[in-house]
Amino acid sequence: MFRVSLLSLRNLALASVALLVGGFALVFFYAPNDADQGFIQKIFYLHVPLALCALGGFIAAAVHAIRHLRSGDPVHDARAYVSIHISIIFGLAVLVTGSIWARASWGKWWVWDEPTLVSFLIVFLLYATYYPLRFAIEDRDRQARYASVFAITAGAFVPLNFIAVRMAESLVHPRTFATAEGGMPGEMWLTFAVAIAGMALLWVTLVRFELMAKSARARISRVRRALDAEAPSAAPSRIAPAVPSRAGAG
Amino acid sequence: MPALPLDEAGKYVAAAYLVFLALVLVYVAIMAARLARIDRELGELAELADERAGRNPVAADAGAEQDARGGAERQGLERERSTRQEVFRG
Amino acid sequence: MSAFRVILAKDLRVELRTLQSVPAMALFALTAFVLFRFGLDRESLDGSLAAGVILATVLFAAILAVNRLFVAEREEGGFDAIRLAPVDPAALFAAKAVALVAYLVVLEAIALPAFGFLFLDDWAGLLPLAGVLLLADAGIAAVGVLVSAIGVHSRARELIVPLLLLPLLVPVMIAAAGAAEPLLAAGGPDYDGVGRWIAMLALYDAVFLAIGYAVYDFLLED
Repeated sequence: MFRVSLLSLRNLALASVALLVGGFALVFFYAPNDADQGFIQKIFYLHVPLALCALGGFIAAAVHAIRHLRSGDPVHDARAYVSIHISIIFGLAVLVTGSIWARASWGKWWVWDEPTLVSFLIVFLLYATYYPLRFAIEDRDRQARYASVFAITAGAFVPLNFIAVRMAESLVHPRTFATAEGGMPGEMWLTFAVAIAGMALLWVTLVRFELMAKSARARISRVRRALDAEAPSAAPSRIAPAVPSRAGAG
Repeated sequence: MPALPLDEAGKYVAAAYLVFLALVLVYVAIMAARLARIDRELGELAELADERAGRNPVAADAGAEQDARGGAERQGLERERSTRQEVFRG
Repeated sequence: MSAFRVILAKDLRVELRTLQSVPAMALFALTAFVLFRFGLDRESLDGSLAAGVILATVLFAAILAVNRLFVAEREEGGFDAIRLAPVDPAALFAAKAVALVAYLVVLEAIALPAFGFLFLDDWAGLLPLAGVLLLADAGIAAVGVLVSAIGVHSRARELIVPLLLLPLLVPVMIAAAGAAEPLLAAGGPDYDGVGRWIAMLALYDAVFLAIGYAVYDFLLED
């Protein structure tokens, strides 16, 4: 499943370290302080890339889910599962860093008039139900299929949700993030770009990492079953006849 | 929204980046635990394979024991698999 | 097309005879109104508070119906029948969606007058509100059918359904409340700015009806 290539896990990991550390270095040594928010604005170089990658991850999961439903190949279901998993972890980081920023800027640990943060909370709550959903369905095929239906539905939900929340908030408050972003000097844009790239690579690295761990576990199960199947009928309770070691694959 | 003085602001920014670092390191720790478990299971399987390959006659007893342990292990894996969807084709 | 009508007629007839969902929804709505009266410590409502109360009540009542939507199919083997019959499986889902809208409309026919009676000084906004609720009902039905079909095969159905349904309905709440707030304003309904919320509701309905149509096949497979 994984070809040792330019995009090997090791290369991905190295690239994400380089870009992320480089990006953070730019944040603290290169990017100028924001005129309005001061030093607090540095949080955005962490918060926004995390948010964009989480959202991108949810959309990627929906794409994997579509491919899973079309082909029935469980590989895509695994990719959807892991994509959602990593994106939820990123989402948690988004909410915590967002809360810290809110506390630093407004003195409160949560603000309802920051539409992107509120939208994110709703999306996070929705995707958090992915796990109880999977655990509640026992039949494996059905579980995978329904999880894919959920991933597609939730993927369509994300943009709708952002639009709706934006509409609700924009009447009362102007987008505070816009004032922070509006008129950003080139140095800030460069820093942002590097940070986003690094975070995206980190996301891909973690997904690959997770998939590799699952793959290893699956292979161990297969080997275990193959070894047991090869065994002479030592235990009388064994039902399976002696079959070649490829038996029980998948 | 007046800007906080640098020493105050610095704490919040540091907290945010530390949260990120903590999450990444927790993830590393979890993956490390998983790798340890994979390693342990592979070790067991390697022993099993050795025994099979060696066709150890004493394995009749040890084999039955091995089977029982393998069965319990497999049950645990079965349960896990049914919720974790590990269905990779080689 | 006739399969759709048959299934829909069957569902409505069964509901009429057994009265499983709608009376419970209506009773729930009335009790919720009482809770809100005491929870908010208000005897009359208008504007955003009124919009919030009526919409939250309708959304929570919808959960009751969504929970029970496919139970008969699951227990009596209706899913297998649809699979085997030479009939477009979409008919099942469409019929269920329309049935759910029907239940919600009946609920609103009871709850809106009760709401006006209990809380509103001016009933003029109720009729346009009913129109907004109809659009919202379509959205609730579109996702409700999906969530219900997913839930009917899971172990903790009564837990999974609200957990899945409510976050998905947040945009409906936002848009419907946004439209309802000026309609229930203290001085009489104000139609300014309602259009954008109606558009949002229409967009939501369109997207999720399309999604439902695209994926229903996979929910029906064995």
